[in-house]
Amino acid sequence: MAKEERAEKTGFRKFFPPKRKFCRFCQKNVREIDYKNVDILRRYIPERGKISPRRITGTCAYHQRKLAAAVKRARLMALLPYVED
Amino acid sequence: MRIYETGFVLAPSLSEEDTENIIAQMAEIVTGREGRLIKQERWGKRKLAYPIKRFNEGFYVFFQYEGKADIPLELERRFKQADAVLRYLTLKKEIQVAGRQKKKASAERGTAREASKEEGASGEGLAVSESLPEVK
Repeated sequence: MAKEERAEKTGFRKFFPPKRKFCRFCQKNVREIDYKNVDILRRYIPERGKISPRRITGTCAYHQRKLAAAVKRARLMALLPYVED
Repeated sequence: MRIYETGFVLAPSLSEEDTENIIAQMAEIVTGREGRLIKQERWGKRKLAYPIKRFNEGFYVFFQYEGKADIPLELERRFKQADAVLRYLTLKKEIQVAGRQKKKASAERGTAREASKEEGASGEGLAVSESLPEVK
């Protein structure tokens, strides 16, 4: 019932395929992720300072591991926060 | 011989002279032990992401050098003693080709394997590639 109503409304997108995510490190053929490169790491750290999961960023497993390690190193060196609020 | 990268954060309260002295001292340890300083990076004073020892700023210095394992050991021993060093981190630089690249270049593997065999003995250690960071 609800479905039919929606479909009738014009301009309401019932469904559109999500944009395909991809690993940006693979694209650039990056092998190692440096913890000193804070600008890149920042992109994977939302406001709270947590590491964004793979399912959101689309990073591949290999680079996600490297990324997580790099973020943790950067945290130790006070380049990135452990918590941010 | 291996390539290491050591970064450390100095207290901002030091005078410029003292900062220079400490950096020079550390550089001397590297060169004094048959090491070769490849690169020295100074970021200067930078805001810390969180306060350490009530400091909000830190003086960042990074060394890249080649040498034996006694150099990072000695450096870290010094860092521990010095109150002015807020944080330090030593990493081994990977010289090996990453596993993923190896898979891609599996065709070249036959030739690469012989070369990597020599590294194999020392390459095991590369898995534990960082000296354990200091636990807060």
